[in-house]
Amino acid sequence: MARDKIYQEEEFPTPLMQLWHNFKQPPVVVIGFGCFLFLIVLAILSSLITPYSPIENHLNDLLLPPAWSNDGNVSFLLGTDNLGRDMLSRLIHGTSLTFGLSIIVVMASLIIGVIIGSLAALTKGVKSSFLNHFLDVILSIPSLLLAIVIVAILGPGLENTLWAIIMVLIPQFVHITRNAVKEEFTKDYVLASRLDGANSFRILRYSVFPNIIEKLISQATLAQSAAILDIAALGFLGLGAPIPMPEWGAMLANGIDLFYIAPWTVYLPGLAILFSVIATNLVGEGMRHALKVRKEN
Amino acid sequence: MFIFTLRRFNLFFFTMLLLTILSFSLSFLFPGEQLVNLTGQINATPEQLAVLANEYQHQAGFITQYFSYVSHLFHGDMGYSMASHLPVATEILNRLPATIELTSVALLVAMFVGIPIGFFAAIYHRKTPDNIILGVAMIGYSVPVFWLGILAILVFSIQLGWLPSAGQISLLFEIEHVTGLQLIDILLSDSPYKWQAFIDATRHLILPVIVVALAPATIFMRLARTAMLEVLETHYIKAAKAKGLTFWQIIYRHAMRNAFIKVIRDVGLQFANLVTIAMVTEVIFSWPGIGRWLIESIYQRDYTAIQGGLIVLSTFIFIVHIIIDFVYAALNPLAREPRHGA
Repeated sequence: MARDKIYQEEEFPTPLMQLWHNFKQPPVVVIGFGCFLFLIVLAILSSLITPYSPIENHLNDLLLPPAWSNDGNVSFLLGTDNLGRDMLSRLIHGTSLTFGLSIIVVMASLIIGVIIGSLAALTKGVKSSFLNHFLDVILSIPSLLLAIVIVAILGPGLENTLWAIIMVLIPQFVHITRNAVKEEFTKDYVLASRLDGANSFRILRYSVFPNIIEKLISQATLAQSAAILDIAALGFLGLGAPIPMPEWGAMLANGIDLFYIAPWTVYLPGLAILFSVIATNLVGEGMRHALKVRKEN
Repeated sequence: MFIFTLRRFNLFFFTMLLLTILSFSLSFLFPGEQLVNLTGQINATPEQLAVLANEYQHQAGFITQYFSYVSHLFHGDMGYSMASHLPVATEILNRLPATIELTSVALLVAMFVGIPIGFFAAIYHRKTPDNIILGVAMIGYSVPVFWLGILAILVFSIQLGWLPSAGQISLLFEIEHVTGLQLIDILLSDSPYKWQAFIDATRHLILPVIVVALAPATIFMRLARTAMLEVLETHYIKAAKAKGLTFWQIIYRHAMRNAFIKVIRDVGLQFANLVTIAMVTEVIFSWPGIGRWLIESIYQRDYTAIQGGLIVLSTFIFIVHIIIDFVYAALNPLAREPRHGA
């Protein structure tokens, strides 16, 4: 019989470590995770590694095609747009706007949602049932419509759309935290620590949160892909980032009129959005797969 | 069944209560005078405003104000659009049918394409077809819809010239406005060019429907795949196998029906998502629907229109939700009645 354990000590990896162990098994997920990290690095270093400023005009090189075409110029690797701005620099700066801001947005709504959700899980009766119905109503309003309403209250602009998207994303975190916390509270180990005299907040902090964090992270990746698409959609509709900003959606909107003569001004931002959403979704997919594997064992 | 209906009705009532409260409080939150936001009368004289204030019981407490707002809503009065000075209710009635047409056709297409493909993937679980389908699905729900719409217009309308790129029907055809649903109106009309008009309207519908349906279809694919995999694990499938049925008999007679029910339950949740996609698509394809109108209302700061649009669009989504719940209950006896002996 094969011996699984060589050493005497029993090791209990934390839920997060177990998740990582199962997470890194499928190669596709690792590639996706690599792309995700690459985007994060780009977003952080954007102003250091870009060859030009995203709003610098090169008036001698308007609408230059990417370098691999015959008319291209290698000093503008991905070409320039109608105002002679370097596409590569704009795309990299856009990473810190569209992708980087989506991470911040998700973090903010995750924190707010988890706080409200755990408070909701601890309350019972009418208050809890009211909150449940309220969340159902908010969740069934289309996210873009809700964002539009909030933008209408706050006024257009990148900062206001971020607030809008944070508010749109909060309900799903409240929902998932509330359900997960309620589920954990029925388990025996929570009862054990309650018998030890721990109060509800201590149980939440030391017993429940370490066990539900992977569910929250998995929901966060879902929320992040939605956040990227929403930031870009609002930018595209002209409600988010103002036009000179190199936000991917706004860049796309800027390129539409030039689609015929300069298709790369539309292809490239779209591909950038697609790439970042697929990377995020792959990470999320790997996370859910790892959770499933852990549940089965 | 009675209790089931009562529950749904109760939910609907509660939802409408919350929605109207939300929309009423928006008139305070939007910039500008609350009464003007609520009625949309931006050019009203002080006398007219006084009449309106009386009508909406502006001097009374918030609760009385809210009830007078709701009673106005019940009479179909949503105020006047700040941009066009037409009643919001009329504007919405003119545009909602186009959105209903687009979203419902897209929902049906997404279901009829997505669900069978999902079943197919589940049958070939962990084989090449399954992996290909999963990969395509991943790309499908990651594509930004506005980009997809632009690419579709470029390829199919401009380069290939197969399909029209904007609007609901060619302006050559004059169709009487009866139900507002273009395809039904055409069939009802007695124009000699009925069939040409019908074909033209269908051609206009194809591209937007495909763009709207793509992401929901991939989600249905995944839902159907998961549901089918769950069903194939159950004991009654094993029993059917033990009885000696062939694999395809099991799939057709037992697995498909049970998996389908599971998917139907989640269709309602996806509908809000589909409407979001449809709103952006309407902008790109100049579809004369409520989504495009709402987005334009923001540019024009037409707050009355946004309030009205929010209520109507959300109500529409809820009604679809409830219809799907009833379809689910009709298909699945376990959802209608409490389980006996359980």
